[in-house]
Amino acid sequence: MDTQCLRLLRQLSWPELRHHVWRHLSAWFAVVLGVALAFAVHLINESALGEFSAAVRSINGQPDFEIRESHRSFGGGFDENLYARVAAHPQVAVASPVLEVETYALGNDGKRFTLRVLGLDALVAAPMSLKLLPQPKPGANRLVVLDPGAIFLNAASMRRLGESGQAHLGSGDRTVALEVQGRIAAQGTPLAVMDIAGAQAAFGALGRISRIDVKLADGASRENVLRELALPSTLRAASPDESALRISNLSRAYRVNLTVLALVALFTGAFLVFSIQSLSVARRLPQFALLGVLGLTARERLNLVLAESTALGVAGSLAGLALGTGLAALALRLLAGDLGGGYFPGVAPALHFSAGAAAVYGLLGVVATLAGAWLPARAAQRIAPAQALKGLLPSSHSTASLRWALAALLGAGALALAPPLYGLPFAAYASVALLLMGGIAGVPAGVNLLLRFVPQPRTALGLLALERARHQRQSATIAVAGIVASLALSVALTVMVGSFRDSVTAWLDQVLPADLYARSASSGASAEVNFLGADMLAAVQAVPGVQRAIGQRVYQVQLDPARPSVAVLSRPLGDPVNSLPLVGELLPPLPGLLGIYVSEAMVSLYGLAPGSRLDLPLTDGRTLQSHVRGVWRDYARQHGAVTVDAADYQAASGDHRINDLAVWLQAGANMAHVQAAITALAGERGLLEFASAIEVRATSLRIFDRSFAVTYWLQATAIAIGLFGIAASFSAQVLARRKEFGALNHLGLTRKQVLQLVALEGAIWSMTGAALGALLGLAVSVVLVKVVNPQSFHWTMDLTVPWARLCLLCLAVVCFATLTAWLAARSAARGSMALLVKEDW
Amino acid sequence: MSARAPLLQLRQLAKRFGSATIFSGVDLDVAAGEFVAIIGESGVGKSTLLNCIAGLDTVDAGSVTLDGLAMNTLGETPQALARRRLLGFVFQAFHVLPHLSVAMNVGLPLLLLGRDEPDRIAAALESVGLQGLGARLPQTLSGGQLQRVAIARALVHAPKLILADEPTGNLDPETAQRVLDTFGEQVRRGGAACVLVTHSPAAAQRADRVLVLATNGLSQR
Repeated sequence: MDTQCLRLLRQLSWPELRHHVWRHLSAWFAVVLGVALAFAVHLINESALGEFSAAVRSINGQPDFEIRESHRSFGGGFDENLYARVAAHPQVAVASPVLEVETYALGNDGKRFTLRVLGLDALVAAPMSLKLLPQPKPGANRLVVLDPGAIFLNAASMRRLGESGQAHLGSGDRTVALEVQGRIAAQGTPLAVMDIAGAQAAFGALGRISRIDVKLADGASRENVLRELALPSTLRAASPDESALRISNLSRAYRVNLTVLALVALFTGAFLVFSIQSLSVARRLPQFALLGVLGLTARERLNLVLAESTALGVAGSLAGLALGTGLAALALRLLAGDLGGGYFPGVAPALHFSAGAAAVYGLLGVVATLAGAWLPARAAQRIAPAQALKGLLPSSHSTASLRWALAALLGAGALALAPPLYGLPFAAYASVALLLMGGIAGVPAGVNLLLRFVPQPRTALGLLALERARHQRQSATIAVAGIVASLALSVALTVMVGSFRDSVTAWLDQVLPADLYARSASSGASAEVNFLGADMLAAVQAVPGVQRAIGQRVYQVQLDPARPSVAVLSRPLGDPVNSLPLVGELLPPLPGLLGIYVSEAMVSLYGLAPGSRLDLPLTDGRTLQSHVRGVWRDYARQHGAVTVDAADYQAASGDHRINDLAVWLQAGANMAHVQAAITALAGERGLLEFASAIEVRATSLRIFDRSFAVTYWLQATAIAIGLFGIAASFSAQVLARRKEFGALNHLGLTRKQVLQLVALEGAIWSMTGAALGALLGLAVSVVLVKVVNPQSFHWTMDLTVPWARLCLLCLAVVCFATLTAWLAARSAARGSMALLVKEDW
Repeated sequence: MSARAPLLQLRQLAKRFGSATIFSGVDLDVAAGEFVAIIGESGVGKSTLLNCIAGLDTVDAGSVTLDGLAMNTLGETPQALARRRLLGFVFQAFHVLPHLSVAMNVGLPLLLLGRDEPDRIAAALESVGLQGLGARLPQTLSGGQLQRVAIARALVHAPKLILADEPTGNLDPETAQRVLDTFGEQVRRGGAACVLVTHSPAAAQRADRVLVLATNGLSQR
């Protein structure tokens, strides 16, 4: 920015800003809000992810690598004899065997909770992670760390189980009692450490271990060691950061989508800047014309407007970064880092401020402001000084804008068909942006087309409003740009969330056919440790009041080390058309192959489709050749699931264990009584978790609503910015038209009629804006529902449009905009109208 | 003073801005069809006087009677309705609406009166030499043409009184001459009375009477 530009800013722009301080403040505030929301979401996500990674590191320690099973993240483990071979390798400094168990524990409050138990050899584990080193209670024998009946808790589990006494943990179809003998320093979710031999005995894994943490000697080569160890194909060397990476990948789509949603406010803010700068330039056209006559070049006029916007953007971005940091700190305190996605359970992160991210988001704020100011700046550049000095504005020409609109809409269509980039729907987002820009650019041409069919009004007010719409549609487009953008985004989000919710509701109805559900394992990972025997199912079927009961087996397999594990569900399917929410074709079974049904995520993540083959890993390490018969919709497991009929699975694997029970009640049966009878059956092995279908449904929808609560706030913000924009635009336009009102008053139009005229115009334009915003919103929602969601979360949904809600939204916007226009006109027409015709700038 | 019953009657009219008196003791009678020019120094309140006549500005003393209506005592809406029916305005700065075609600008007063008379608009355009330009937008016209649009608009509904405020102030002498010719001719042909405020001696020459406005009132030149 040269000194000439600075001088012009001080002498010309500063007085303009001071004269219309509220209008410019609204643009500044929109930038502040946009930057703040996006930056806050980024900080919260990064803080949560950082904290989660730190927690994972503290649990996994700092080995050079881990030896673990190729296909199972949790399971029976592998033969512990490998440990002796690894530890004896001359280039291995330390090898630490670990048994990982995820089970449940019964808290002091009588409720069960998920507890991760690590069985360690305390004598060799210390170099890997000091935070996992058992710390006996003061005064206790230090050898208690080797006691097979002792357990050491971290802070989170100690809060649930107490600092001493017995802890009851689920194991198979029973519980084991362990003595709390001390603590461990590791933070995060509930975690316990015990001696590995004790853990093997307690959790039925004698002779088995889950992983070996390896620290190499100085100068040793990982590749050489691995080659010499010649690990069997069922084992692999994994990076200790894999878990953190997996959770990062798993939550990435959610985090990116949330950030994009947060950028909605900034995007809308750019339209507000566009509106306000356009009107500011329109108001100052005579000034620019005079400056042009006096020697200010067209380029300098362009630079002046851009410089004004840069100053606005910088000021808005700086304040936005400060506000965003504050919002993030507040959200981390109130929401503990989980913005509703449920990806970071139990994580209570501290704020991690990132200067790099601040620079990026700050720059984004400035770029958005400049983007919004570009067209007004070009208008200032292009004015014909002589004509502008006479007060005559060029008529609207919509040919160029129509070309832009068509090009943008075509581009949007093409981008919507593009595949995801790095697993994320960047092209679809660009498509949404182009749809909005193309739609808005097409307003003048669209209005022109529409007005051709409107008959010539026979009243003065009608004629004035219509002719203004016909000839000044460019400036009116400016006024409604903000409302079109914000309403389109709100409509799109409303339709997307509504469609998703309806689809989830329909899905829940299909996947929850029974009346009562009971489960032994609280997560897929703990299913190997907590299960019920086949005898339990038979016993439940005989309980009075039970009409029918089926069991489900759940276990996890790791098909790709870079991805989260996949759930395998085995249950009686009967006719899959009725028992599974299938999408697409169903293939007939193939003899000799296990028929499986994969969730939609398996299609996008692993390239499976009906007819594909998959070597399905079993819990005992074997694999079974399977054939994909169909694809089903699963909103519960974003990372993929495979369903197999229980009879087929049991025949092939010999695994008759079950983890979940689905119970149909006889008519008139009392659910509480049935539940009590099943609990009694479970007896000591109890600790079953019950939920009725209604409860599961309600909980699922509550979680859904919590996940999308943030979108409602973002919609409200976008709409508020849009309405703010239309208020600013209308008042500026009305001020710019005061001479016109004065002339009309001289001709005999009453003040009331002038107000009516402006209100009528406001209504016409806001209705046009609302109609266009709604149409664009529907188009955007198709992209969100059909492209963004499947590409982000690997599931599809049915498009449903909540017409009543959308109509109400549009009506509210139209009413507010009309009222705003009327209020703006009332303010502008206050005082002597005779003087209005004499107004100069 | 005309022997006919006055169309416009000002009595002891006074206007002040704060403590400063713009004018006072203004008496004027204008008969139907009479053409009166008012001249005076800048800032003496010539335009303000026109606004007071039209009910667009308040008066601090005296009365304005237009076609029997006490304009200064009427409410805002009756004043507007009276302007619509009785008055035609021509401004120095044209004040044509940029988004209306030339014909629509001219036809505005008729539209406000609820009269659908396209022939009258065409005749008004022809009378000021703008025939064939009705479909054009104002920005395509020259300054002289724009002022002729404003004149046609002031005359199209056959008002009883034309108030013209420096109608040639924005025009070059040659164009101003032509516009004045048209204006004078059309005012007289329509039979309307006219109060013309001007600095231009050439313009004032066309009037039946030329009056000088000063702080203490109007006087014959």
